[in-house]
Amino acid sequence: MSAKWKFIIGALLLTALVARPQTDEKKGPVFTKDGELVLPMGYRSWVFIGGPITPNGLNGGDAPFPEFHSVYIEKENFRYYQKNGKFPEGTVMVKELALVQGSGHADGSIDSASGRGYFPAALNGLDVMVKDSKRFSNTNNWGFFTFGHHALPYEAKAKESSSKECASCHIAFVTKTDMVWVQYYPLLKANIE
Amino acid sequence: MKKYVLLLVGIVVIAGYAVTNHAKSLAAPPTHSSAVFTADGKLVLPTGFRKWVFVGAPLTPNGLNGGAANFPEFHHVYVEAQNLDAYLKTGSFPEGTVFVKELTRVLNPTFPDGSRTEPSGRGYFNGEFNGIDATVKDSKRFAKTNGWGFFTFGHHPMPYTETAAESPVTECAGCHMAYVSKTDMTWVQFYPLLRGDKAN
Repeated sequence: MSAKWKFIIGALLLTALVARPQTDEKKGPVFTKDGELVLPMGYRSWVFIGGPITPNGLNGGDAPFPEFHSVYIEKENFRYYQKNGKFPEGTVMVKELALVQGSGHADGSIDSASGRGYFPAALNGLDVMVKDSKRFSNTNNWGFFTFGHHALPYEAKAKESSSKECASCHIAFVTKTDMVWVQYYPLLKANIE
Repeated sequence: MKKYVLLLVGIVVIAGYAVTNHAKSLAAPPTHSSAVFTADGKLVLPTGFRKWVFVGAPLTPNGLNGGAANFPEFHHVYVEAQNLDAYLKTGSFPEGTVFVKELTRVLNPTFPDGSRTEPSGRGYFNGEFNGIDATVKDSKRFAKTNGWGFFTFGHHPMPYTETAAESPVTECAGCHMAYVSKTDMTWVQFYPLLRGDKAN
């Protein structure tokens, strides 16, 4: 084979490699050397599974979770849960918070064209849980993290929250469903995509 | 030599395929639409929307609306990322934009306002899936209703209907025209991501 042909074939091979469709970015949680969790990215293209609301107006003005909770999980992880009743190692769940709009009624609801109820205002924080049975063996294999309860931008990384802040309540109430409140997320109970 | 030529042809085909594929993923043509219509103009139930961007979920429960709310369920609203980005840049949605609104009932109410108490507090939690609505922007097809068509695939548990005829103006479009013409027929005031809260 002549040098010219080798060059042409080589160039074409290189083109094929460079032009290959990009693979997805790395899956799963990213930790710093000292064990802090890096703020997950790309979760808006994950699957949204539900968004409970427990407003201040219904909780004596001081709700533990006053915002809408929009919960996201990667598709393969919720499909795994649907089949196996537990989440795979490395599962990340993201809970993004949105404030409730206005203060029309004592219960925190407002009147709008569509009726009286609750509507999301600004985004207001991000919490994350990660399944890693080695790292978080003390808390039923899940670690809990808060990247700030405030407007964007969120913290770039977070230390594991103390057990009494998050894990203990999950341990007390939802150990049987792998630490996740599946009863509030219809997609986790259904066998649908 | 002949085998090298064959090899070369093979490589060119692979490279060409890869380049084309790559170009497709980079360039989202403005005419892209996930809307599929039947020959008689019905909209086919959108699929794949769980991979779209979730933009927000208002809740106007029966308990706060005299027992007969117009929209008693959680509204989970989805739009494709490129259409969301286009709206934030230009203030209008591209032709072919589809919004999906999936409904879930409120989980077993125990208070008159429809709320219940759970370990996290008193409030509203997602119950069963209970229907899908969709809107499609197509300024030719839906010229009479500000360029958008409205469709309902059933307000009931799954399965939903597979196709839907356009809903009459009085059912959906009328209210959108009256209140949100200026924001391209969409209630952007209820959706943080449509108001420009930065995506992560």
